[in-house]
Amino acid sequence: MEQLIQSVVNGLSLGSIMALSAIALTLTYGILRLSNFAHGDFMTLGAYLTLLFNSFGLNIWVAMVLSTLCVIGFALFTEQILWARMRRGRTTSTTLIIISIGLALTLRNSIILFWGAGPQNYDLRISETLNISGIRVPFNSFVVMGMAIAAIGLLHWVLQYTKVGKAMRAVADDIDLARVTGIDVDRVVVWTWVLSAGLTGLAGSMLGLLEKVNPNMGWFMILPLFASVILGGIGNPYGAIVGAFIIAIAQEVGAGMSQTLGPLYVTLLKNSFLYPIVRLMSADYKIGIALVIMVLVLLFKPQGLFRGTM
Amino acid sequence: MFSYLFSFDSGILTYVSFLITNIAIYAMLGLGLNLQWGFTGLINFGVAGFVAVGAYGTVVLSMRGVPLPIAMMVGGLLAAIFGLGLGIATLRLREDYLAIVTIGAAELVRLVINNESLVDGKPGAIGINGFPLPLANFRPDIFTRYGMVLLLTGVFGLALWKLGDWGRRRLGSVRESKNKVWLTAVTGVGALVLVRADVVVTMAMLNFRDNQVVNGLLFCSVLMAALVFLLVETLVRSPWGRVLKAIREDEEVAKALGKNVFSYKLQSLMIGGFITGIAGAFYAWQQSNVYPDNFKSDLTFNVWILMVLGGAGSNPGVAIGAAIFWIYTTLTRDLSKLFPMIPTSQIDAFRMVFIGLLLIGLMVWRPQGLLGNRAELTLGK
Repeated sequence: MEQLIQSVVNGLSLGSIMALSAIALTLTYGILRLSNFAHGDFMTLGAYLTLLFNSFGLNIWVAMVLSTLCVIGFALFTEQILWARMRRGRTTSTTLIIISIGLALTLRNSIILFWGAGPQNYDLRISETLNISGIRVPFNSFVVMGMAIAAIGLLHWVLQYTKVGKAMRAVADDIDLARVTGIDVDRVVVWTWVLSAGLTGLAGSMLGLLEKVNPNMGWFMILPLFASVILGGIGNPYGAIVGAFIIAIAQEVGAGMSQTLGPLYVTLLKNSFLYPIVRLMSADYKIGIALVIMVLVLLFKPQGLFRGTM
Repeated sequence: MFSYLFSFDSGILTYVSFLITNIAIYAMLGLGLNLQWGFTGLINFGVAGFVAVGAYGTVVLSMRGVPLPIAMMVGGLLAAIFGLGLGIATLRLREDYLAIVTIGAAELVRLVINNESLVDGKPGAIGINGFPLPLANFRPDIFTRYGMVLLLTGVFGLALWKLGDWGRRRLGSVRESKNKVWLTAVTGVGALVLVRADVVVTMAMLNFRDNQVVNGLLFCSVLMAALVFLLVETLVRSPWGRVLKAIREDEEVAKALGKNVFSYKLQSLMIGGFITGIAGAFYAWQQSNVYPDNFKSDLTFNVWILMVLGGAGSNPGVAIGAAIFWIYTTLTRDLSKLFPMIPTSQIDAFRMVFIGLLLIGLMVWRPQGLLGNRAELTLGK
């Protein structure tokens, strides 16, 4: 039981990061109609830029803010040279997907070129792990959850109460209708990138607090993130939050299953009929759990749990 | 560089044989993907997963005593079934879902071959070696060797004839004399490469016993690539292939004509997957020991770039793309000899940065690649 709570707590801290990143993905997906396969590598970029500023001797929080700003700048740069011109040319969504995977390859390997392939750590004071009646919670997890709540609160305010946010929702619903009502669509596109890349860069930097910074950290998040977005309804940021927490908790509970069940797990593993299912519930196959959830969603509820915009 | 084209040094000849084998294998991989993306518009980002299923299926079965051709066919079938599973979940829905799921499934396959023990209780991470290779114990007499030479010369001769035919037709349609010179030069280089390849394989077959493993695989892979090429050319020229193209251009039109779009897409994904799985068997034989790291996503994108470069939707284009890809790989491998102080992981990263940028550039400026048909690929856009 204790182990189960431990897994859920781990899921909550991973889920906060995934929630931020999934919101970002769902915004570009729903508003710009771009399924951005370079999304995970934008997260990696955020983590490495934080690492870079941190290595200059800057405080980690300052480094994270600077890195987030740089990721926003980079996203606007790709919008300028790539996405804007593709949209004008009415490029098909499949072509956009291949362009984004090309961008993902370029980004990931540029990072390897500059920083090397090995895992690295931020320069942090050794952070303590709190022990709450047997549940171990690293202090960084609290920080991550707190930052995620603050970022989500800010986003909620922007989307619901500012003019830009309302315009973004209008564009997501129907771009042509939004344009004829006089909304400046180009401005909305820029703001979408600012919000989305900001959340992505922040999420990547935060992921570096929980695990080692490595060139594949974002790439391997692509499947769980898309799964969260589809589960929550494409284009629906609140749905993306729910989807991200469901997937993150499922992954962590699955990964902790052998400790949760103890000897029973070993007994079940010996049953050759159950073996594939039981084996999937382990830390070795986290991505498998996300994949299974994704396939189940596509088979039984492809429109997602909540109303999307597509 | 010119030594690869003209030298008769035995080291160079062996290396060129190795290159031809690789080109044949990557051409098969490209042809499988081309059926899926080039002709049907399906985004398969999990090529490495299909290759792994085919390779491990073949290797594990053949180590349990199943004859190689049967093991290879079963490996291909397993890859097709892998495609069936992914297709059922995604192909009724938006086109990007297949892309997402194939990335995840390929990674899952790599984790399975890494974490599970598939042979003799040895951990998967250390890889598998010592599996049977095609024609490794084959002792052809002189007549059989001439027969093999004749078969392969037939393959290269056919390619040469097609090239000449293409050059002549294009020459008739080109007016500017500058373009005529270019076209003649390109055709000439192509012919030279084909003749050189034929000379190398002829020498390899006549001296079969010098290196049975390498020569046996060379023979089998060139022959299989030719068979696969004929198969996909026949398929895409059939009424079935025309339906695929219609789906690529506009799904709604195909639907309105009463075609079961889902079923056609599924068939294309499975046949493409079968071809990729067969190529996977050759991929394993060529390495002669397989490791989970051989099946990372880099493999997928190498196949993508050769297909897009050669020309999605054109099978001869993909074959040429495979050749260009391997020439590029050879040249950049020599690059690492020139700069020994740069670690190989950095050089690999540099190669992949270039491939990523090339993929973006091609999709932006020349989505038809070298030989694709732009009017056909961008109809109504």
